[in-house]
Amino acid sequence: MTVVFSIEAPYRGRYELHRLTFGSGSPRVAIVAGLHGNELNGMHAVNMLAAALRAQRPNGTVHLFPLVNTFGADEARKRWPFDDRDINKSFPGDPDGTAVQRIAAALLEATDADVCVDVHSGAPHVRELPQVRVPLSGKELELGRAMGLPLVWRREGARLEATGLIGAWRDAGRHALHVVGGRGITLDTGHSATIARGLKRLLGHLGLVRHTDPPETLADVDRTDVGVHRAPTGGFFVPEVRVGAAVKPGHLLGYLQMPIGGDRIGELRARRGGVVATVRAWPMVYAQELLVRVAGTDGR
Amino acid sequence: MAETRRVIEVELPSGDTAPVVCRRFGSGATRIVIAAGIRGDAPEGIRVAHRVAAFLEQHEERLQGTVDVYPCANPLAAHRGTRNWPFFDTDLNRLFPGKADGHPPAQVARALCDDIAGARQVIELRGARPAFSEASQAIVRHDHEASAELASHANVAVVWRRAPGPAAPATFAHQFTGSIVLEGGTGNRLTPGVGNDLADGVLNLMVHLGVVPEANLPFHWAAIRRPIHVTDDSVHRVRAERGGLFMPASAIWSEVEAGGTLGEVVDPLTGQTREVVQSPVAGHILAIRELPVVFPGTMVARVVTQ
Repeated sequence: MTVVFSIEAPYRGRYELHRLTFGSGSPRVAIVAGLHGNELNGMHAVNMLAAALRAQRPNGTVHLFPLVNTFGADEARKRWPFDDRDINKSFPGDPDGTAVQRIAAALLEATDADVCVDVHSGAPHVRELPQVRVPLSGKELELGRAMGLPLVWRREGARLEATGLIGAWRDAGRHALHVVGGRGITLDTGHSATIARGLKRLLGHLGLVRHTDPPETLADVDRTDVGVHRAPTGGFFVPEVRVGAAVKPGHLLGYLQMPIGGDRIGELRARRGGVVATVRAWPMVYAQELLVRVAGTDGR
Repeated sequence: MAETRRVIEVELPSGDTAPVVCRRFGSGATRIVIAAGIRGDAPEGIRVAHRVAAFLEQHEERLQGTVDVYPCANPLAAHRGTRNWPFFDTDLNRLFPGKADGHPPAQVARALCDDIAGARQVIELRGARPAFSEASQAIVRHDHEASAELASHANVAVVWRRAPGPAAPATFAHQFTGSIVLEGGTGNRLTPGVGNDLADGVLNLMVHLGVVPEANLPFHWAAIRRPIHVTDDSVHRVRAERGGLFMPASAIWSEVEAGGTLGEVVDPLTGQTREVVQSPVAGHILAIRELPVVFPGTMVARVVTQ
């Protein structure tokens, strides 16, 4: 383990950015997790991958950063706790700037690789099917599909800001993949294992390791293939499906009820068939909030 | 009589509601907008909005135009005294122009933009940034001469002609050409004197916009402060190079020489000095950090040169 960057912290020693490196030479892959301190499925997945790489030296270089925002993780907070800044909105960073700008600059420099992966959980109030978010075409789409994750979501690149790590990697000419799975705050061990298998398939595709796990892709979609179900009104949402479930048009996805008294306000039914990609986990919902996403073309 | 209406009402899941209101004073085609509380940690702006509204209410029959006062755009954050909209933990001032079918803060941003569209002049009232005390200042777009000239009458120490940063397009002020942002005081606090100064400045701006007759001002025009005008090149950020506790040694708007001491960073456990922070230039102290914990790289002061 290498400390690639550290900075003095007033009351608690030093902040240190840790890197685990396996193998040497090309191709080079960098995998980052824990940019957000309350999204630790990625950290667990990266540590599972580290265990596999200890048993099988890769034919190339794999840099792993299991937990960038250690201070945030200590407090279950998404952002850097000192000034509430989001490290993932601080790229390309500044080696002479604030603490998060220095961390961002150091991370960008330390992830100088051919292929880079940033692993996140969903937000704390939603659970996401393990997925890779990739551009509509090109090498990153090929690499994303090679991960064999349950969902391949092709999205327009403009959705990723240049101040985020993915945007900064792309600006630096590196292939960048954005992986999301599970829910913030909690540990989803099954989703973490799924992500770890996807990372291993990616390394296999690039010729770094042998891999035998078959792909687990359930849906390969673009924006037009994703049905978004929002809350028609505020209330208490009770889901009737889990992420990864196959649904047909008309399937009951969940219902809204009054928080006090429990009178049912309305039902949510799938408008299309497909795979449930997102489910609201925190039940108190505002009108227009995302409750369920269904990925698929059946019945569109 | 002033009209109070609900611009948008956010329904909370438990059944309560949080309204964003507008208080309208006067009538006529010329419409001035005064908006405060985009963030919940800027009570100074909310105080100024209410002071201005009280004046407008008292002198409504003499107004030569319409003044819309939005005293608190982010009521749930103000309720908690936090910068961001709670639950979504979202900075409303990074969501403009908003989205009518988005999550609640985005809906509020959209509703405000729709409601304010067409106003002749928008004035946003803020407090100081968190952890800092700041001199009173008006911030305008660097390339908008008319608003810089108008801001000269805002009773502030500085008019800062600021170039938009990467986040600017999603801010409230950026949505309205020629908007003026007034701020000062202490982060998340009311500061004696600052509220009065900014309220007087808003009234004076309305005189120059032709909405309030000068004869009705509760002070003589000569009492209005004449600001210096600065650009980004004249505003110097000073950062700590060591982590620890920053102890300021200078007061807001005091003069400092090049190499003069702004404060020192001490070891939080022993109190021993780790760094003496010096000003890189001669000028006035525009902002100074008052929350002492700092990392290497934390900004501790802004110094402006003329």
